[in-house]
Amino acid sequence: MIELFHVSKAYPGDPPVLHDINLRIDKGEFVFLTGPSGAGKSTLLKLIFCAEQATRGQILVGGRNVARIRESAVPFLRRNIGVVFQDFKLLPHRTVEDNVALTLDVLGVPRHEARERVYQMLKRVGLAHKRDVLPPRLSGGEQQRVVIARALVNDPTILLADEPTGNLDPARTLEIMDLLGDVHVRGTTVVVATHDISLLTRYQRRTIRIEAGRLVADEDGVALARRLAGR
Amino acid sequence: MSISSKLGSAFRSAAQGVRHGPFVHAVAVLTLAIALFTLGLARSVDGLVQAMLDTLGGSVTVTIYLEDQTPDADAQVLLKTLEEQVGGTAVLVPPRTSLERLARELPELSGLLDAFEDSPLPASIEHTMPESHRDPEVLRRLSDVLAQVPAVADVDWGEESVTRLSAIARGMRLGGLVTFLIVLVATVTVVAATLQLAIYARREEIEIQKLVGATDRFVRVPFVIEGLMQGLLGGALALGALLLLAHLAAPRILGLVDFLLATETRLQLVSPRLGLELLGGGALLGLCGSMLAVRRFLRV
Repeated sequence: MIELFHVSKAYPGDPPVLHDINLRIDKGEFVFLTGPSGAGKSTLLKLIFCAEQATRGQILVGGRNVARIRESAVPFLRRNIGVVFQDFKLLPHRTVEDNVALTLDVLGVPRHEARERVYQMLKRVGLAHKRDVLPPRLSGGEQQRVVIARALVNDPTILLADEPTGNLDPARTLEIMDLLGDVHVRGTTVVVATHDISLLTRYQRRTIRIEAGRLVADEDGVALARRLAGR
Repeated sequence: MSISSKLGSAFRSAAQGVRHGPFVHAVAVLTLAIALFTLGLARSVDGLVQAMLDTLGGSVTVTIYLEDQTPDADAQVLLKTLEEQVGGTAVLVPPRTSLERLARELPELSGLLDAFEDSPLPASIEHTMPESHRDPEVLRRLSDVLAQVPAVADVDWGEESVTRLSAIARGMRLGGLVTFLIVLVATVTVVAATLQLAIYARREEIEIQKLVGATDRFVRVPFVIEGLMQGLLGGALALGALLLLAHLAAPRILGLVDFLLATETRLQLVSPRLGLELLGGGALLGLCGSMLAVRRFLRV
């Protein structure tokens, strides 16, 4: 589903953010991407959905080389990838419904159909009753659920979540993680970038560790949890 | 998705943009209106100057003094030849008419002039030049040719005044053109900057649309619709302001320059054509301005 071959990313004048990353994530997997802040987790996600271009290497997403994709083809790739941003990226002057519907507007889904799909999606994330509310009036956890709803409303094959629980209290964190687990159960490939060790031990999923732009570990979740517990 | 559905979505998005940023939109419309008003005013003033120049140019007359005893028939042949070959209108002024004019212009000498039984003044042909011959060089050449005709005693084309008038007209036309171009460049610059500012305020929205898979066209169309609407509204406001100004100030302005305008000139400070130009120009400015302004925010 997602394959990276010798991928590097550097900005002019700075040391490489990512260095020679080789990685394969299969269809339907749930993967944690972990590492300290500034390790390159967010950059790696950005490379996958073409918000950044790799300096070197090849990236295959669904068999397509996104490192060499034409600019005009990028929107069509992104329509298959739902992204949960760390800073939410919600439109503050649009209602919850409008924010979620944006993904379907882009696809050209007729308005009445879009409204129904948005309603069902908001029901799934427990926010149907707040569909007419503006995002700034929601709590952090609720805003994160809106972002997840927006990312999932068009049934993408891949969900990338960048620190989806970074700003949340423990109760909201579990809520969001359960939601992502539910998405995974339905067949979506989920990649969650996080530096929260407690999530790794609790959910015991395959974990890819990046440090200073290098891939330093790729472990099975259970083994990782045992290792961390044995410390 | 049908075209009507796509357009509907684009119009809804444009309307939302206006609803959520009314101040920025008002500033954009006002900037367009002020810019177009300035352009319209420049065009009106230019029209007025052109009318004045045409009137002044229209009074360029060459006076051809005939030799004494030139038969009327010869004078008529010369007159017809001039009208056919040069254009404009030529009139034969008999010696008696010239004397009467002189007496009218110099009333203090009327008693003396009345003493003449036969006019001492020569017959002449007064030839009002067509537009193509209102240039000093052309007039000089024509004068030289006419001086060779046996029946012609002298030719007066008001060399000094025509040369000066021509220089003034050239200067005014050039000045008008330069002013118009400066206003035009300033207008385009200010409008582009304002629209860019309006779109900059919504860069986050563009970024999010692009991140969820919007094509450039999907992002661009609502902004282009907004730009078009802003341009039309700005053009309409500018037209309204010009009409109001024309209604309030035109009688005074025309009163001041009336003596410089031909009696048959029906001058409109705001013509229907100018109205269409303002609306069309506004729409074009808004359209092109927003297309260019949105382009730099599409790279996400």
